[in-house]
Amino acid sequence: MSLVSIEFIGFVIISLLLYYMIPKKYQWIMLLVSSISFYLIGGTTAILYLIFTTLTTYFAGRLLGKCNKEDKKYADIIKKKKRLIVLVTALLNFGILFFLKYWNPVADMINNTLQVEKISRLELILPLGLSFYIFQSIGYIIDVYRNKYDPERNVFKYTLFTSFFPQMVQGPISRFDSLGNELFSEHKFSWDNLKDGIQLLMLGYFKKLVIADRAAVVVNAAIGNYTEQSGSVLLVAMILYCIQLYCDFSGGIDVTRAVAKMFGITLVDNFKRPIFSTSLTDFWRRWHISLGSWMKDYLFFPMSMSKPFVKFGKFVRKHIPGKAGKILPVSMVTFIVYFVIGIWHGGSLKYIAFGFWNGILITTALLLEPFFIKVKQKLNITDKNKLFYIFQIVRTSIIVLIGRYITRAPRLLAVFDMARITFTNFNLSNVFDGTMMNFGITVTDYIVIIVGTMIMLIMEAIDEYGVGTKKILEKKKVIIQWILLMISILTITVFGICRGNYIASEFIYKQF
Amino acid sequence: MTSKKWCIMFFASVILVVIMYAMFNVLVDPFGVFGDKIFDWYSYNMTNNPRVAKTAYLDKHYNEYDSYIIGCSSTSSFPTEDLNKYFDAKFYNLIMYGADMLDVEKTSEYIIDNYNVKNLILNVYITNGYKYDEEEDNLTRNLHAKVGGENPISFYGRYAFLDMQYSLAKIKSKREDTYLTKPSDVFDVSSGAYDKKVRDVEPIGNLEKYLEAYPVFKNYPQESIELTAIDKTTESINKIKQKCDENGINLIVVASPVYEKYLEYFPKDDVKEFYTKLAQVTPFWDFTTSIVSREPRYFYDETHFRNAVGTMMIGKIAGSDDVYIPEDFGTYVTLENVSEHVETLWTIENEEEYTKQVPIIMCHNIVENPTEDSEISPERFEEQIKRLSDEGYIAVLMQDLVDYVEKGKELPEKPICITFDDGYLSNYEIAYPILKKYNMKATIFVIGSTVGCQTNYKNTEHPITPHFTIEQAKEMVESGIISIQSHTYDMHQWAPYEDAEQPRENILKFENETEIEYMDALKKDISKIKEVVEQSGDELIAVAYPSGKSETLTNVVLNANDIKATLTIEKENNTIIKGLPQSLYCLNRFNMYEALTADEMIKLIEGD
Repeated sequence: MSLVSIEFIGFVIISLLLYYMIPKKYQWIMLLVSSISFYLIGGTTAILYLIFTTLTTYFAGRLLGKCNKEDKKYADIIKKKKRLIVLVTALLNFGILFFLKYWNPVADMINNTLQVEKISRLELILPLGLSFYIFQSIGYIIDVYRNKYDPERNVFKYTLFTSFFPQMVQGPISRFDSLGNELFSEHKFSWDNLKDGIQLLMLGYFKKLVIADRAAVVVNAAIGNYTEQSGSVLLVAMILYCIQLYCDFSGGIDVTRAVAKMFGITLVDNFKRPIFSTSLTDFWRRWHISLGSWMKDYLFFPMSMSKPFVKFGKFVRKHIPGKAGKILPVSMVTFIVYFVIGIWHGGSLKYIAFGFWNGILITTALLLEPFFIKVKQKLNITDKNKLFYIFQIVRTSIIVLIGRYITRAPRLLAVFDMARITFTNFNLSNVFDGTMMNFGITVTDYIVIIVGTMIMLIMEAIDEYGVGTKKILEKKKVIIQWILLMISILTITVFGICRGNYIASEFIYKQF
Repeated sequence: MTSKKWCIMFFASVILVVIMYAMFNVLVDPFGVFGDKIFDWYSYNMTNNPRVAKTAYLDKHYNEYDSYIIGCSSTSSFPTEDLNKYFDAKFYNLIMYGADMLDVEKTSEYIIDNYNVKNLILNVYITNGYKYDEEEDNLTRNLHAKVGGENPISFYGRYAFLDMQYSLAKIKSKREDTYLTKPSDVFDVSSGAYDKKVRDVEPIGNLEKYLEAYPVFKNYPQESIELTAIDKTTESINKIKQKCDENGINLIVVASPVYEKYLEYFPKDDVKEFYTKLAQVTPFWDFTTSIVSREPRYFYDETHFRNAVGTMMIGKIAGSDDVYIPEDFGTYVTLENVSEHVETLWTIENEEEYTKQVPIIMCHNIVENPTEDSEISPERFEEQIKRLSDEGYIAVLMQDLVDYVEKGKELPEKPICITFDDGYLSNYEIAYPILKKYNMKATIFVIGSTVGCQTNYKNTEHPITPHFTIEQAKEMVESGIISIQSHTYDMHQWAPYEDAEQPRENILKFENETEIEYMDALKKDISKIKEVVEQSGDELIAVAYPSGKSETLTNVVLNANDIKATLTIEKENNTIIKGLPQSLYCLNRFNMYEALTADEMIKLIEGD
């Protein structure tokens, strides 16, 4: 069920009504029923994977919990046992994830390289929310391993944690200690929550339906046929792709959080206005935050603290003097993390390249930091310098844009082609000579995209630097609030429904 | 504002938007189910879904009709004027594109139950044998709730909460609407048929050019289709038949022509079974195959024949003898002859000729010592006429071509048309005697406003080459040698001599002129030239375009004003086709000039 469908809204309304009508102590059961129904509506076989992950991590959690309670005398044995449990559970689940997600792409890659069908493709379905619930439950296992909290004893409650329906489509990846309590506790109906939910929902639909879906039409048409485009058109299409990606992803998260909010549940935010990032590291702290923090907590830190790495660090410091020696081990781990993030995006060489691109830039930046500081001092630039701040934002945007070239290219090698076209055959006039009209949307649609994006950016700027859009709006007179509300509803209805994909009824007459 | 108040405001606003949304669709009404009060544009609504919009239209206008013809898209090619003429009735064409027999059955039942019906013509197409009830799009292909029996709430609800782009498209199309048929409004509201005013003036002649323009007939695709719905379809027809009998309605069932190669799609036994079972239900007129099926120029595509063929069919059914009907066209199939008839469907034996190559030559002024391309000396002219006569050419008039096309009246073996433009005095003084001498007929296209101008260009000081008078014209017409026709009354002005800011040098629409203004101007001009032609004792049937230029709208207006032939100055031959009036539009002409010897002329006109 798509987050933007009428069916989804109907589903949410019915679930909400039931949720607040039944006795509060059964509310979590209602949520579980909704979640399982939601999953089953999407397809029946996929739920087996969800059950598998849920059960393996549930029992692993229980076992780890027992271990945590055992006598400290046998600490060494217990530690080994616990590690084994985590290892086996993680391998099983990531194994499934890798198999389902990467078998066919890898098979294609190998077959294409060898020009023979060495590995056959499999008819695999990718279960809804697969990587989200696996990451979420592995995080849970590791937390229990670290004895951060006790494992959940009730398998149904735990199932609700892995299957909570709003976050099945696009995440975010939540933590048990924050989400669990919210899910299982009793919630009184609150107008505040409903209002916040509706507002967030409208924002999400605005981003997704009005902006992203329109931009997508151009992006698919232009980049799907990138060899035919001139550089300027390609660049515009790529900028539209960045807009599309952000609006679609963050809009989806807005809808997810909005729905959760209406149930009285607060989900972590996944985006923090990434357009205002001042560096690539900053960008990754603002973009897909829950994935980044998962990586930090469950990959970056454990790896940095692991014995081999500590040893390696000592070795490096001994042999490479100065700051570089200190930074190098950290850079190595950073590099590996971004490499994994790259692969997480999909099973294609281009995503590995994407990981490299981020890894290389961030490690280089780390290594060159002392040099940059010196340059800044010489040029008399402080961090308060506004021009420098703008420069940082622009620079980061360009770096991100280049990264998007890598992920959006049809194949890895196409990236170079696209880059070549962008630089060698720029031909700016093509943006204005009607070429852009051949991509399936009209001038009105372009205006909608531009105005929509500007409105979104203004709101984000107010949130970033000011008191917040919401606060400002709430202070306005009722009539003004109502007018703005009507405009918003109309905009979403009219521009959301009338997207670029409308096919006029077929006029048969032309045939004779 | 409290959150509670805000939420209530939100829900109220949503309800308001929903109501506004529905109101918008109801008012614009792109399918015409809510009365289309604002636009009253049923040709558009019918294009979106003829089933729904026609029911809505007829519910308001059924008093204007007493007979109906019903069926899938080919039904549109039965001109209602012809039906009205022969049946002395007021027909409405209930063509519903893509109609299956269930649509036809339900709609027939509805009109019989609710309207006054004298005649019902049922057009059964061979495709009705393989689809009885298609899974249909429920906006553009479904029946009206009143006809199909759907729950009205779901029916009207669906059109009220329609994707509003249908409504926006209607508004947009309205802004771009023109007099000419556009893909968005293809129906003629009052007759119910497709508006064919453009198709009916589409010039057709040479076969190769036609195949070029209609590539579907070249490399005809091969397919195989089994007729799996014969029983259901004939059962459906039976129900209609019963209902007509009960209500004393004259039911005529017609099986329409198919393009020959299309028939090969269907297994022979299936077709035989279909027609046999049909004959068991009702006698019917079968036009499926004949010499017409062989000729792509009678078709738009493999299943859609032109209105000209519809005229032939109606003529045949009504037993008319003033339209061309091929020998083997149409059989009245009954239980007695069906078994014999179905065997003959795959053999077309008729070899009759129905096309003719007619060269047309064009002259202007005849002068001693010609200096221009449009001038020719008396000697050269006589040489050419003599040569034509010697070669066995028989000169014919425009009316002869019209009779050939409309009535199938034969032309001489080697016909030729001799034509003069403008109406110079030399035509009367020099050409007329020579033509008489060789007994060669000719048509002179006069410019009405300059008839009789001897010295001055119209009422100006400017000099003019002398033009013959109306009396002289009359004398020539009376002789039977000459026909006077139109080169427009005053749409071939000589710009340097005109005071008007924008002189009309030809018959085309000015760019800054509206369609209405242009059509008015053209109609006025036609009525004036008609008067001149009638003064000469002739009847206006042909127009030679000034400078040979024309556009679609010109032809549409000319056709609507009974102009049967039009002539250009393209130097090519002509093929005219029996039963196909369009073949007389935009006829080509070879210019005769001084340097052209008689030998060269013969070579020119005998080429393709």
